Amino acid sequence: MNWYAIKRQLNGWAILSFIALLFIVLPGIVVLVELFAPVNENWQHIREYLLPTYVRNTLFIMLATGVLTTVIGTSLAWFVTVYEFPFRRFFKWALILPLAIPPYIGAYTYHGILNYTGVIQTTLRNEFGITVDQTYFNIMTIQGTVFIFTLFLYPYIYTITRAFLHNQSSSMVENARILGRGSWDIFFTVVIPISRVAIIGGVSLVLMEVLNDYGVVKYFGIQTFSTAIFSTWFGMKDTSSALKLAGTLMILVIAILTMERLVRGRKQFSYATTKVKPLKPRQLNGWHRYAVFGYVATIFGIAFLIPFVQLVAWTVLTFEQVFTAEFFRLVWNTVSVAFIATVIILVFALIIANYTRLFPSNMTRVISKVTTLGYSIPGAAIAIAVITLFLLLDEWVLNVALALDLGQTFVFRTTLIMLIFAYVIRFLAIGYNSIESGFEKVGKSFTEASRMLGWGTVQTFFRVDIPMIKGAIMSAFILVFIDIMKELPLTLFLQPFNFSTLATQAFKYVSDEKIHEAALASIVIVLMSGLLIFVFHKVLDKEAD
Amino acid sequence: MFVQINDLHFSYKGAQAETIKGFSISITKGEIVSLLGDSGSGKSTILRLIAGLEMPNQGVVVVNDCVCCDDCQFMPPEQRGVGMVFQDYALFPHMTVEKNIRFGLHKLSRKERNERVEEMLTLVNLSEFRHRYPYELSGGQQQRVALARALAPKPSLLILDEPFSNLDTSLQHRIRDDLRRLLKQTGTTTIFVTHDEEDAEALADRIVYLGEGKIKKQIMTENNKTFNPQIPCFV
Repeated sequence: MNWYAIKRQLNGWAILSFIALLFIVLPGIVVLVELFAPVNENWQHIREYLLPTYVRNTLFIMLATGVLTTVIGTSLAWFVTVYEFPFRRFFKWALILPLAIPPYIGAYTYHGILNYTGVIQTTLRNEFGITVDQTYFNIMTIQGTVFIFTLFLYPYIYTITRAFLHNQSSSMVENARILGRGSWDIFFTVVIPISRVAIIGGVSLVLMEVLNDYGVVKYFGIQTFSTAIFSTWFGMKDTSSALKLAGTLMILVIAILTMERLVRGRKQFSYATTKVKPLKPRQLNGWHRYAVFGYVATIFGIAFLIPFVQLVAWTVLTFEQVFTAEFFRLVWNTVSVAFIATVIILVFALIIANYTRLFPSNMTRVISKVTTLGYSIPGAAIAIAVITLFLLLDEWVLNVALALDLGQTFVFRTTLIMLIFAYVIRFLAIGYNSIESGFEKVGKSFTEASRMLGWGTVQTFFRVDIPMIKGAIMSAFILVFIDIMKELPLTLFLQPFNFSTLATQAFKYVSDEKIHEAALASIVIVLMSGLLIFVFHKVLDKEAD
Repeated sequence: MFVQINDLHFSYKGAQAETIKGFSISITKGEIVSLLGDSGSGKSTILRLIAGLEMPNQGVVVVNDCVCCDDCQFMPPEQRGVGMVFQDYALFPHMTVEKNIRFGLHKLSRKERNERVEEMLTLVNLSEFRHRYPYELSGGQQQRVALARALAPKPSLLILDEPFSNLDTSLQHRIRDDLRRLLKQTGTTTIFVTHDEEDAEALADRIVYLGEGKIKKQIMTENNKTFNPQIPCFV
């Protein structure tokens, strides 16, 4: 590369991308630096007596959730794609809906259903005079945690695998049928191997969500990395050890991602042709029909319908008490902060994606990888890193102000800036992936055509590139917005004093043992997410046509 | 010479071998040159290098006395004044025919712009389709829009990448005659790439045979009534 080649790389796009990237990497650096700092006595204690428990619990939950979500997600995807059974078209969409219920809401809803004063035990006692053994109805265990994660996270695997099967498998499955293989056989010898990449992608998303979760494990009192980081930080007031835990967690995440890469390798099965011939579902006969229907309906029932109905019932119960002016402020807070953060994320994502697309090189490949890293850093780790960073920043601002004799200074860590900053780090990857794939789909020739007609990269960006990927921008917006709206750990620990969102308020009610009062906030989250998920899939469907 | 290309070298990122190994050519004003070669001969890459869409490892490209690239400068595509018709036309799907043609005319005044759009629509005979979107046009019509769009800013050089590959055979014959007439009528210096010898003979004044990133041979076609043996051949 000669010098003008280097100059060509260093343009406005590059500089803006580097700045955006710096924000993303900074907290990670804070955490990793602390990992190598000298240890204190407390950390030795944690490492010796507590860390093994955290690791054991976290790994058990991950492993069990990973296996169960894979089984449920892929089997549902297979049934919905390949067989015709009652209400198939309804379930095709409905099976995504559990994604609208954040696991922490699912967790307290199920606890509320199953506990001593819950609807099941009350009915059994009052109607049938049966008092049950509480151990069978206690969901606040590690198995219960796995149960909750499985129910509300399987859609990640279901949607990815279903899309893959729908687009890619028809000729292979049809060929296998012609060659005389039975369905069961085809599922294990053809479908599982070819959709391996899609399934692994889905599972790693599920595992990232599990590691990120704070609400479920905190409520159920399970000792995992997330809860340990916060209890060390707030309970023991030991920031250094909390950062060390966060660093250990990040290394675990990096290990998972590396493993995913290794397992996936170069085996990306997809057709060279873009012509997609969807698989025609096959009619099922006799009891098979009802067995499949029963299975699918049961999953939908326990993962969406039952918790949803319970939330509606509680909302009705507490509506007058909770539906106040204060509640409107919660909705406004949630929507406005999510909106601002989403817009910032989309601007960053567009700039970085356009830069990596226009100037492909090893450098931009690294940038692209790092951009997506934030999503794999669990909320607990980001929260503590961001606070540490903002403490340093405020201290620095104060020192500068003192030196210049400015008097009153601006304190960043008491404002929404800190929270929005954390959102951007964590969710940039979601916006970026969606926009990057949008760019990939339209290719570069429109951009090149525009430049051949005398427009520079910036004008081309606004006049051609953005209108061309409108659909991808829209779906990026929806995905990021949903995630921020229901986000819990970051919001819980970084929200300014006197500022709450629907998610944190619901969690606060639940922590105060006011499960019923939390229902309204929860149902608003579920309804908004559900609606947006529906719009998102409509957008995708329209684009596919 | 109107277009002068000297010792162009290029390799794609990560590739060991050079795709283009010392390509040189001179083209007079108004000449239509065809680059003919099999797929993988590097013919489309040469077009992209001339357009400025790829950066050469070394070599000089001069168009109309303007040094587009040499060892110490690289002019971005938007400043080169080269028009290009893409293989898939790359018509902006969110703009009508008229808006597509108008797109490259931002340096003109509003009045000139309107006149030029009218002129181009008449030239390619698409006035009645001006408000259609690209997907509402046939393949041949799309190609004419792409041509009008590329010619509208009066480029000093027009390059066409496989202009007939997306058309069916019957259409192909008619269009290449029309195209030649149109290019001669506007006096546009043109380089186009094809893998079809018949296309090259029908449209070009000169055919340049490419193989392995280099010129194999050059011949003047029947079209070139004023055969000029003075044109240097770099073989």
